[in-house]
Amino acid sequence: MNSKRNTIMAMVLVVGVAAIAEARIKLVALPERAATVIRLDNPRATLIEEERVLTLQEGLNKVDFSWKGVSIDADSIRLRTLDHPDKVTLLSVSYPPNEAALVWDISSDSDYAETVRISYLLSNIDRLITYKAVADKAETFVDLKSYLVLRNFSGEDFDKARVLLDYGEAFEQGIAHEETKQMLFLKSPKVPITKVWKFDAAKLPWDPEKLENQNVGIPVSYRIVNETKSSLGEFSLWGGKARLFQDDGHESTIFLGEDVTGLVPVGEKMELYIGDSRDIVVTQRKMQDTRVVTHKNNRGDVVLYDTNEQITAKIENFKDSSAMLTMIQHIPGQWDMESCNMKYEKKDSNTLEFEIQLPARTQAGPAVKELKMTYHRRHLRPGREPQTPVRR
Amino acid sequence: MKRIAIVLLIIVATTDVGRAKVDLVTLPSRDTVQLTIYNSADMTLVRESRALTLKNGENKLQFSWANTLIDPTSLEMLPQANADKIDIADLTYPPRVRNLGLWNIESGVNGKVPVEITYLTSGLSWRAFYMGTLTENEKTMQLKGYVVVTNNSGEDYENAQTRLIVGKVHILDQIAELARRQYPYGRPGQVPPPPAMPAPQEESRSRARVTMEKLATMPSIAKEVKKEGLSEYFLYTIEGTETIPNGWSKRLLSFNVDQVPVINLYKYEEERYGPSVVRFLSFKNDKEHKLGETPIPGGMLKVYRGVGDQGHLSYTGQSSFKYIPVDEDVELNLGPVANLVVEPKLMDFKTENYRFDRRDNVSGWDEIRTFKIEVRNTRDINVKVEIKRNFNTQYWDIDNNGDFGSFEKVDLDTIKFTLDLQPRSTKKFGYILRTYHGVRQEDWTSTEQ
Repeated sequence: MNSKRNTIMAMVLVVGVAAIAEARIKLVALPERAATVIRLDNPRATLIEEERVLTLQEGLNKVDFSWKGVSIDADSIRLRTLDHPDKVTLLSVSYPPNEAALVWDISSDSDYAETVRISYLLSNIDRLITYKAVADKAETFVDLKSYLVLRNFSGEDFDKARVLLDYGEAFEQGIAHEETKQMLFLKSPKVPITKVWKFDAAKLPWDPEKLENQNVGIPVSYRIVNETKSSLGEFSLWGGKARLFQDDGHESTIFLGEDVTGLVPVGEKMELYIGDSRDIVVTQRKMQDTRVVTHKNNRGDVVLYDTNEQITAKIENFKDSSAMLTMIQHIPGQWDMESCNMKYEKKDSNTLEFEIQLPARTQAGPAVKELKMTYHRRHLRPGREPQTPVRR
Repeated sequence: MKRIAIVLLIIVATTDVGRAKVDLVTLPSRDTVQLTIYNSADMTLVRESRALTLKNGENKLQFSWANTLIDPTSLEMLPQANADKIDIADLTYPPRVRNLGLWNIESGVNGKVPVEITYLTSGLSWRAFYMGTLTENEKTMQLKGYVVVTNNSGEDYENAQTRLIVGKVHILDQIAELARRQYPYGRPGQVPPPPAMPAPQEESRSRARVTMEKLATMPSIAKEVKKEGLSEYFLYTIEGTETIPNGWSKRLLSFNVDQVPVINLYKYEEERYGPSVVRFLSFKNDKEHKLGETPIPGGMLKVYRGVGDQGHLSYTGQSSFKYIPVDEDVELNLGPVANLVVEPKLMDFKTENYRFDRRDNVSGWDEIRTFKIEVRNTRDINVKVEIKRNFNTQYWDIDNNGDFGSFEKVDLDTIKFTLDLQPRSTKKFGYILRTYHGVRQEDWTSTEQ
């Protein structure tokens, strides 16, 4: 308990209560707070557990627990006796009117200096998780560090507390009101990464030539798997902001980019978008889109038709290293592929995923590959065509 | 002005006294500083090394940065020696104090320890710009690339190794916004406040001017800019160190290449540029063009042309261009011109092949247009002309005649003619375009053009 602040919690032991007085008497010893635990395993609420020694007398004891300037969920307050759990009994809890307080009625069979543990949910104290990853020059692994950022705006100063997460070691820390503390809690060197380039035809412009003086960046991500092979995999990685750096080979680093990750359970992947590559250029064009009428009504209007469509996508790698480009194409509605010069995986009814290995640029120029796919869309009805994904 | 201050407080372990005794021990100054400046975002990675004198036991290091634009959440300190004996336990942002961080360091060594402090700051920026000088015959161009580094960070960085990053970095928060937050990580359940006004610029001009004058008298040997690829970015390292006082900019030569072969390319596309021909200067970022060692960062290019033997110049125009990867073509748009003319003329129009539905209404037809295109080069140099024609339909056939150069289908409704013209010459060609309409589209068969 910090008596310097007026946002304090007070605990008053009322002894020898014969009858309920009109004004509640709040006096007697102010028990010092002993061991305190700040438990941050639930991201939605922070649980405080504190131990205090109550000087109990034989008979009925009234213990008044009140707080000012802090926000405690009164329904969350729990009391547990630690020294004589069979001999000291909590009889009832009452809430005085218009007060941030509660009164415990405790029955004791003798005089004890009883250690009790009081638990409650305290607002405006929480934690954030941040990551810092430094990749090697070849981009094959990262040295991953994770920090716990403890933010205390609860109104309460904690001189010393054990700060607990759901995994890892506890921190012995004090934290004052309005104070923020950043502590390193995870250090995993040499976590393997996969670098991923992704072109999604529904999200990126098709023809860079049609854009005046703008580069089309192909999003680049690092993929980390939360598994033992990656020297991770012991527990879920919490969501938070990740900043990525890279060793520049000159005993220094450059900042690669930052992203925010959600919770990554064991066995799952974390994908961190670092920035855009402008050295891989995709030029996608529609070379054919013809209608083949399959039925007309008796007025001669087309009521059903198919299409013959052809899409080409030229991929140029201007990098001096190879890259694996993930290309995503979309064909809405019912369709069948007539010919496609590259292998793809059908991810769902209208999404095709290509994994395209691009060699490095050579003396002769950029490495060029061209996807050419010719397909038919079937049974289209004028005015009721399935939605074409966003283009250009 | 030095706004970043470091104070090392040593807490002498005193077992008998309840309160720790705080001693102000040293004010270590920066030994070296390195700036890595980004241009896709207002962001700079600062790495500075300082020698701290640590004592065995608990040490507190206070780092303050009032009136700068440092992102406090990016602060990191790493010992460069005895790393196993020095534990940086935590970094605390004390309550009710702004722009201050306190590192708690458990040291197992007594004496000087080199440490490296890194952080991200806003306010430093760089941009690329270029100057091109064409020879009189416009066959080659001298190309000079410059970088301009500007410091508005609130901090003077003296003798800093300066590095520039070319590339598009993904960031979530603006560093300037993070720098202005009252609490580095915000507070629970609160949306960060809107950005405040930029940090005040209380720079003393006279002092800064003295610095610059001093620099101006130093021997002026052009510095080399070393370029290397890292991940998806390029890193430019400026030779030696630079001092850029707060509020000042500095221009440095990045490269200077003479006799880059250029093509005078003219483009005509009514739908895009209107009736005028647009002039482009084209070259390739490759070895043949004496370039191609690294990508060229996007920027503005001002193009001049040498006139006469006296080294006089004529201003041709300017163009901004995008990032050019190695081996990619560069096309610089210098704007519309009148000395090259492309005149498409519709010489004949007819329709045929009518189809009728059951009620004898027209349901299909063909339109046949005969175009004549005249291209006139009034200049006294060789030029290359690209003419694009859009048909607004994909159901078309074409029959070319005359000297139409090379011809290609760009996409389903666009074709491109490419012609080379001698000085002061004219070329004429024609084409007959048949487009299919209504049910006649059903009779159209694709022929690879």
